[in-house]
Amino acid sequence: MIREQTGREPAARARQEAALAALDIVVMTPRSADGELLIRELQRTRASVRHCWPAPETYPVEADVIVSEWVPRLAHRLPWVPGQAKAALVVVLPAGPLALDQLHDVAADALLPRPFTQGVVAAIVLHAHVRFAYEQRLRARIDKLDETLRGMRTIERAKAILVETRGIGADDAYHFIRRQAMDRRVTINAVAAAIIDSHELLG
Amino acid sequence: MGNPTAETGAPWRVGLLFSKTGITSVIEQTQLQASILAIEEINAAGGINGRELQAIHYDPGSSTTAFAQHAKRLMIDDGVTTIFGCYTSSSRKAVLPVVERLNGLLWYPTLYEGFEYSPNIIYTGAAPNQNSVVLSQYLLKTYGTRFFLIGSDYIYPRESNRVVGELVRMAGGAVVGERYVGLRAQRRDFLPLMRECRQVQPSVIFSTVVGEATTHLYQAYADAGFDPRIMPIASLTTTEAEIGAMGPDVGCGHITAAPYFEAIDSDVNRAFVRRYKKRFGSDQTTNMCVEAAYFQIHIFARALAMTNSIETDCLRPMVLGAAFDAPQGQITINPLCGHTDLWTRLGRANGDGKFDIFWQSRMPVDADPYLVGYGAHVA
Repeated sequence: MIREQTGREPAARARQEAALAALDIVVMTPRSADGELLIRELQRTRASVRHCWPAPETYPVEADVIVSEWVPRLAHRLPWVPGQAKAALVVVLPAGPLALDQLHDVAADALLPRPFTQGVVAAIVLHAHVRFAYEQRLRARIDKLDETLRGMRTIERAKAILVETRGIGADDAYHFIRRQAMDRRVTINAVAAAIIDSHELLG
Repeated sequence: MGNPTAETGAPWRVGLLFSKTGITSVIEQTQLQASILAIEEINAAGGINGRELQAIHYDPGSSTTAFAQHAKRLMIDDGVTTIFGCYTSSSRKAVLPVVERLNGLLWYPTLYEGFEYSPNIIYTGAAPNQNSVVLSQYLLKTYGTRFFLIGSDYIYPRESNRVVGELVRMAGGAVVGERYVGLRAQRRDFLPLMRECRQVQPSVIFSTVVGEATTHLYQAYADAGFDPRIMPIASLTTTEAEIGAMGPDVGCGHITAAPYFEAIDSDVNRAFVRRYKKRFGSDQTTNMCVEAAYFQIHIFARALAMTNSIETDCLRPMVLGAAFDAPQGQITINPLCGHTDLWTRLGRANGDGKFDIFWQSRMPVDADPYLVGYGAHVA
């Protein structure tokens, strides 16, 4: 049975609007007519908007989203190397044709075409932010997986020591390590390493 | 589509990132020379599909941040997609996000600690299962069970020692000391470690010291009057280049595990060593990092000849599974993990600054960067 969900839509929209309003946005665009329009559209989201022009040689790091005109050497103005970005980047496209190779180098999270239309600016900025945050989460997950893979062998060995010395099952051994880690607010790897060290120390 | 210059005679451009200055420049310069030799050989044979192979080299000066910046410069300003380079794990980890985000391909010709897999890196140096496993087994059997680990203080030695410590304990041995020195360590920094060794009397000193500090470790050992026949330094990172820098008399009698030594007795290797010395001087020696830096460019060139496109998405599938008659013997890029199936050898430094090979695997050892095939149990 399909239920009417009349109440859901406004709540979801409010959530997205709140997400937008919480953003720190830096915008690099001239104060021309359409530049003003862009700034106004960003301000309508109730986000904190800082305007900056002419575009500095090195962009600021402290922002959630950078909205920048397609300026020369844009990739070099970003204060990070590709893959280590600290903010989402929205590139404002020029009216004319585009250099696709340079676009690739800039590694933008979203593109904003002209002319600016009402509502679209906010949607694209939010999209860039959401995508960037997702990428950050994936990177964090890979880091965590790497650490877990390295630590897995340590944990296995610590489990085996507990099974042998305390006569408990493998699952209980794992729970013991996990509980110790939680109680001491350290990682499971650290507890496992400590068990191995003390085991060797005591012989 | 994708490769507009394929039909032109324009050169293929690639990047080289090896340091000519700074603390690890001794070994990185040999990797640079090996890359140049391979590129010159390829061009002398007519290039790749009639097009010259052209390298752009930057000197990152052994600085991690400079490695990242130069990788960015190569890919963005120079439009390069393939980079050969990096010696330390820190520099590889700095370049990794750049090649991953811009979809480049980094060829990394250095042994490392394993536990990594990037679809944008081809690893042509040894993983721990291709050097540490056999070395630790040999040392346990020959010298005894007490290991004293000394390393430079960065990712590789710490992670490598994690693996070595585990292998030693699994076999019933013990780590009786684990010490790290700064990358710029001087001889005086090793004196307290030598005193400690005199006290705890390990069976073997296991070194993952890199760069100029290597000389100071071996010199401090010699000054302390220790005997390599009784308690040798065993290393994964001391090659002919480091022995050359410290002087053969200082290095003599110590042990290294590597896929390649200059002393390998084969026609392919003798010809390789001859060409290397002819190009860079008769006083120059080859080493494991030279050999990997050399063969990886030949593998790249062969794959490129078949794809005729230098785009990573075309090139990488052609590289995976590729085999090559390298100076160390037949090697293969393992299609599962992008690492290389290499030979394992043990060598003892002799009075001429070379290594006498006293053990080698009967065939190439499959790369197992996550040590899946090596159990973790209580001994």
